[in-house]
Amino acid sequence: MIKDIDFILNGKKVTIKVNPLSRLLDVLRDNLNCKDVKEGCSEGECGACSVLLDDRIVTSCLIPIGAVQNHEIKTSNYVTSTEKGKIIAEAFADGGAVQCGFCIPGMIIAAYDLLSRNSNPTEEEIRLGISGNICRCTGYDLIVSSIRLAVERGGDIWKK
Amino acid sequence: MEKIDCYIPETLQEALEILHREDVIILAGGSDLMVFHKNEPSLIPEFEKSVMIIRNLNELKGIRINSNGECEIGALCTSNEIAESTIVPWHLRQAASRMGAVGLRNSATIGGNIANASPKGDMPGPLYLLDARVKLTSLNGSREMLVSDFIIKFKSIDLKKDELITKIIIPYSERDFDYIFWHKVGTRKSNAISKITVGMALKFAEDEIVKDFRLSATSTGAKTNRNRDVENLLIGSKITEENISRVIEAFDQVISPRAMPVFRRESTKRMIRRFLSQCLLHPESRVIDTYDSYYVPGSPKPVFNI
Repeated sequence: MIKDIDFILNGKKVTIKVNPLSRLLDVLRDNLNCKDVKEGCSEGECGACSVLLDDRIVTSCLIPIGAVQNHEIKTSNYVTSTEKGKIIAEAFADGGAVQCGFCIPGMIIAAYDLLSRNSNPTEEEIRLGISGNICRCTGYDLIVSSIRLAVERGGDIWKK
Repeated sequence: MEKIDCYIPETLQEALEILHREDVIILAGGSDLMVFHKNEPSLIPEFEKSVMIIRNLNELKGIRINSNGECEIGALCTSNEIAESTIVPWHLRQAASRMGAVGLRNSATIGGNIANASPKGDMPGPLYLLDARVKLTSLNGSREMLVSDFIIKFKSIDLKKDELITKIIIPYSERDFDYIFWHKVGTRKSNAISKITVGMALKFAEDEIVKDFRLSATSTGAKTNRNRDVENLLIGSKITEENISRVIEAFDQVISPRAMPVFRRESTKRMIRRFLSQCLLHPESRVIDTYDSYYVPGSPKPVFNI
C-alpha cells in the first residue's frame, strides 16, 4: 500500500510515494536524506529524533508519515541555518555543550522550541524544556549554560 | 496475509463512514500505538488490521466552555494544548503537563489516553475526580457516559466498533472546591510513567462541615480508583483525626496495587493524611502540596504527624 504524501520539509514542498504507516523518522532519514535526525530509543523517550511539526517539537519515531500530510516539518539542519538557530548552534559550540554529538540535533530543536515560546527562561525552565532529550555524555550542565548563553546573545531576537 | 490498508480521512463524517463499514485501528497521536507496533529501524510498523489516522481531524480539536459552564475538550487535543490552556480544570492541567517527554506531549491526545485504558494513564485520574464524561459518536448518533464507566477494566473500554471518541466534557473545576491536591510520583521528575498519582479536592460548608470531598488514585490497581463510599465517610462531618483514619483505612481496602504494594499503600495514606490535615488549617493557598518548603514561614504547623 503506497500513497502520495505531500508536506513541507525545511521550507520546500515535497511529495513522496511511501507507505503512510512508515515512521516520519525513517522517511526523513532513508527517503529524504535528512541524516541529522537521529534514532535513539525508538519509543519517544530520548528525543534524539526530535523535529518541528508546525513549529512544535515532536519525536519523529512516533509519527506515521500519513499524519504529516499537508503539514510542515523542520529538522535541525534547517533550523541552524536560520538566524535564531545559528545563535543556538554557536552558543552550543562555544559553551562546550557538545561531546559525542548524537543528542545535539534533538537538543537544538528542544532549545529552539523552548526559546520560541519563552524568550527568557530560568535554569529550571531550561531543564524542563530539554527534559525530553537524553544526553549520556555531558551531564546536561554545559547544555543548560549554553542555552542561557544563546538567550543572552540573542537578546530581543527571541521575543520576535 | 490480509491486506493492511491505511485511511487518512479529512472530515469526521468520512472517518465515521470508514468506521461504519470496516474494522480498523484508530490512530490519533500515535504515542502509544507506534511504540506498541514498532518494528526494526527503517521497517514499517506492523499492524494486524487496517489503520485509520485521525490526527488531523479539525472537528475533534479545540477547547471551549459550553453553555452549561462545562469545559469541553476535543478528543484530539494534545497534552501540551491541555496543559497550556487557561480554561481547563487545574487537576487535568497538572496531569497533562507531567505526561512523558515534551515532544511526546505534542503528539499524545486526551482521547487516546482514555482509549488506551492503562491503569497508569495520567489523564483518567483527574477525569474520574471531576465526573468527566466522554462523547461517543457514530453514524447512528451520539451518546455520553462517565469516563469512569467507559473504562471497564485494564485495557478495556465500552466503545462500539463504529464509534469514535469525539469529546470530553468536564462539569467541575477547581473553582468548585476550597482545597485541591495532585501529586505524581515517578522515577524521575519528567519523562516518567506514574508510580502512583493521587488527586484530591475538598469543599467546606459552614461550621467546618465537609460539603464535598473527592479522592482518586492512579497506578493502584487494574484501573484508576475512586470510591464514593469512602468519600461519603467524610462528607457531612468534620475533619477529625478519627475521620482521617477512617478514610485512609477505607481507601486502603479499595486499592489493589500488585507491584510494590507497601510503597504504594503507604504513599497513598500519607498523601491523604497530608491533604486533609492541611485543609483543617485553612491555609491561604488553595493548592495543598506535599512539601513543607512550600509553606509560608510563620504559618501554623501541621496538627498531625505526616
